[in-house]
Amino acid sequence: MENTYYISNYCSIKNGKASLNGNSQITSSETEIPLVLKNIYKELDLNYRKFFKMDTLSKLSFLAAEMLLKTPTEAIEERDIAVVLSNNASSLDTDRKHQKSIADSTNYYPSPAVFVYTLPNICIGEICIRHRLYSENSFFIFDDFSGEHLFDYASSLISSKKSNEVLCGWVNVDEENYEAFMYLVSTEKSKIEHTTKEINRLYQEL
Amino acid sequence: MSKSVAITGMGIISAIGNNVEENYLSLINGKKGISKISKIDTIHKDCIMVGEIAYTNADLEKSLDLPADHNYSRSSLLGAFAAKQAVENAGITNMAKYRSGLISASTVGGMDMTEKYFYDYIENPTNRKYIDGHHLGDGTQKIAKLLGIEESFVSTISTACSSAANAIIIGSRLIKSGKLDRVVVGGTDCLSKFTINGFKTLMILSDTYNTPFDDARKGLNLGEAAAYLVLESDEIVKAENRKVLAYVKGYGNTNDAFHQTASSENGDGATAAMEKTLRVANLAPKDVDYINAHGTATPNNDLSEGRAIIRVFGEEVPPFSSTKAYTGHTLAAAGGVEAIYAVLALQNNVIFPNLNFKNKMKEFSITPETSLIKKELNTVLSNSLGFGGNCTSVLFSKKP
Repeated sequence: MENTYYISNYCSIKNGKASLNGNSQITSSETEIPLVLKNIYKELDLNYRKFFKMDTLSKLSFLAAEMLLKTPTEAIEERDIAVVLSNNASSLDTDRKHQKSIADSTNYYPSPAVFVYTLPNICIGEICIRHRLYSENSFFIFDDFSGEHLFDYASSLISSKKSNEVLCGWVNVDEENYEAFMYLVSTEKSKIEHTTKEINRLYQEL
Repeated sequence: MSKSVAITGMGIISAIGNNVEENYLSLINGKKGISKISKIDTIHKDCIMVGEIAYTNADLEKSLDLPADHNYSRSSLLGAFAAKQAVENAGITNMAKYRSGLISASTVGGMDMTEKYFYDYIENPTNRKYIDGHHLGDGTQKIAKLLGIEESFVSTISTACSSAANAIIIGSRLIKSGKLDRVVVGGTDCLSKFTINGFKTLMILSDTYNTPFDDARKGLNLGEAAAYLVLESDEIVKAENRKVLAYVKGYGNTNDAFHQTASSENGDGATAAMEKTLRVANLAPKDVDYINAHGTATPNNDLSEGRAIIRVFGEEVPPFSSTKAYTGHTLAAAGGVEAIYAVLALQNNVIFPNLNFKNKMKEFSITPETSLIKKELNTVLSNSLGFGGNCTSVLFSKKP
């Protein structure tokens, strides 16, 4: 790839801690995911009722995106930001919930509100709805975090003029384990160059 | 690199016919395929109507000459049947001669067998073979193998009701970029309790014949179908002296960032998809001769799509109609079924009627065509608007 792009901002949510550009922003003393996410939601001072209908993966992804993109503005819509996320547990957390509701043939009640989240890319939808992103988006399922794949995909989206910026990351929820790592790739010069090495370094820092 | 994307073969099985010719005859004779459900024992059987294919699984198995221990779901049976027809129709005798691929769409996959045997699997090993046939990719692989393209680029698309239209887009892009010379594209979905119950829960199933773009529309009829098209590069068309049925001239796929299931009321996504399609085709709105609308007859779709059409075409909305009243909504296959109908419209210079329409919608003044119209057509725009605002438009033309 000839062009050099930059990582303008990055953030993470892991072990009860939400960080932006390497600086801890919010620390939750809770250990259970729903309570941690609720704490972060409160600390970010959000007023978005749809949040409470989301499944855990969407809540986690939504909050990480919120830290990077801040409150939705018209300006965000115009920035034309593509979204490329990945994980290795797909939507298993919600799939299991759904499975429980249909496991017993005599006591069978699947909930449409749960079912609608039994796909991993629904979390991208939630981010797009919140920030009015009509842009390109993709969700990948890998064995492990792959900075290389995210690098290629984001670089290609910008160089082929499919988008101006790319919101990339890894958002994973599997039983009690969770982690979110997101970063924004931009053409505007900043301190961190967009390279596979840098992406992997930032992810390792989590 | 190929400048144009030629359609050189088509295959279809739907509630209104087991091949392209039968579908065409039903379309021009106003013969709809909507009835009470007969092949699935559902508690909703008295309050829904569906577009059911006459062939039983046994008929299809026989036609495909499958061994007794096969694990094809009905979606796979239908898909294999239609895809084979498309390849035969194109006159392909040696698949390996060119770099060929398959992009197949489905939303149901092997769900029909899973729901039949799910609780039985634990106790009874006989039907466990269907577990492997559950996922959507399995049907695609079966079709690829049957067509002799399993070693090449094979992929499955599942983007709800725009699935097959998106398969057409990907296939077209693979040819335009020179990655492949030939791509079989389309989709297949059988009826299943899974979809019937899902749509029932959303309260968008009509208890009578669906009435697209009618003010009193009550919802959709689900349908089953499989439809595939063979897309080929300029190079093959020239080398093999192919008869080109039509061209894929433009396409656009957008998301309308509105809701997990509903489309935005003003049709933001559909508007963007149609505009993008015209840009890719390098055509103006006035160049569109007929729109084969998505028109599912749900309150949400027809309002949203109608508004989007007005936003794109302004005062001069071309003739439009939905063919869902014939076939029902065939979900992942719809974009393929309607792509074939668009090509048939171009080949025969006819606009198919929007059956069952009586009352103009109160939100706008446009109304669909209600009778068969003979008219010189050069371009047809086909809309496929999926749940969650996955909106796709494809433009078909006579000229490359």
